[in-house]
Amino acid sequence: MSTDPEIPGVRPFLRGPAPASPPETGPDAAAVLRPFVITSGRTAAADPSIGLETQVSTMPGVSPDRLSPERRAIVQLCREPLSVAEISARLRLHFGVARILVGDLRATGHLDVHVMDDEFPDPDTILRVISGLRALS
Amino acid sequence: MDYAPSPDSHARAATAAPPVPVKIIVAGGFGVGKTTTVGAISEIAPLTTEAEMTMESVGVDDPGGTGKTTTTIAMDFGCVTIDHTLKLYLFGTPGQSRFAFMWDDLIRGALGALVVVDTSRIDDCYPAVDYFERAGLPFAVGVNTFNGQLGYNLDEVRWALAVRDDVPIVPFDARFRGSVRDALLVVLDQALHKAVRMRQS
Repeated sequence: MSTDPEIPGVRPFLRGPAPASPPETGPDAAAVLRPFVITSGRTAAADPSIGLETQVSTMPGVSPDRLSPERRAIVQLCREPLSVAEISARLRLHFGVARILVGDLRATGHLDVHVMDDEFPDPDTILRVISGLRALS
Repeated sequence: MDYAPSPDSHARAATAAPPVPVKIIVAGGFGVGKTTTVGAISEIAPLTTEAEMTMESVGVDDPGGTGKTTTTIAMDFGCVTIDHTLKLYLFGTPGQSRFAFMWDDLIRGALGALVVVDTSRIDDCYPAVDYFERAGLPFAVGVNTFNGQLGYNLDEVRWALAVRDDVPIVPFDARFRGSVRDALLVVLDQALHKAVRMRQS
């Protein structure tokens, strides 16, 4: 039996090491992950060629039935071509989430995703934008 | 194009080829008038989307770590239909002075950028100017004059920003469509120069 006079025997746990602090997850971990529940947790599966302005249209004749609510909403929204940014804003989906869902729906044949090449636009396109803006009153 | 839908068929409207999208970035610090700028020219009321951005902290003490963090930012955007085959998108992105955004995703394929400046808080736009310079994206600096008042002359603004002489600095009023249009035309002029140079090389 320990007879150390310095240490009262009543609360011996005070001698022990401090209890381990809970694992550091960071305050933002949950906030970052939560939107991606809709994508089954995938955050990195997005096709980088799908940009904010990429145009998306629903394939003719596809049925949105049997899709998750978010996917169904996208298919219904894109009967007229729409940018991914507009899909994200109108359905209040994080852009990263919208991009993953659009990629999924392309893979399942529901959506046509009109990916452009990454090249800088050609002079003719820029000239058309210039004359189009000049025509604005 | 793989197909040509008959123009009179409404049932096939969804298969019509969508317009080619082009985009211009509207960047600047908090409250300088980015959303006003986008709203003045957009044919739709500006929409907001939230997107992930990688940020690199600059000008702050950073003991350890790479200084890169990911954050969610709100981005306002609008659009102008040029014709049924071409649509211009405008994306307004924040750029706080303490952070340099890694706008790589955003600027891919962009025509250029308008950096909106408020002369009373000029350092707010340093990260945007730095970034677009390094990325080789054509850009112009738009000094938002708020009621036609310009706190400094443009030479002083140029000196404070330390931008090259070939970067245009234009005063504009973010509330007026014609004024925003003219500022965007300056950006497009820069973009045209780049496109012509690229074609020649």
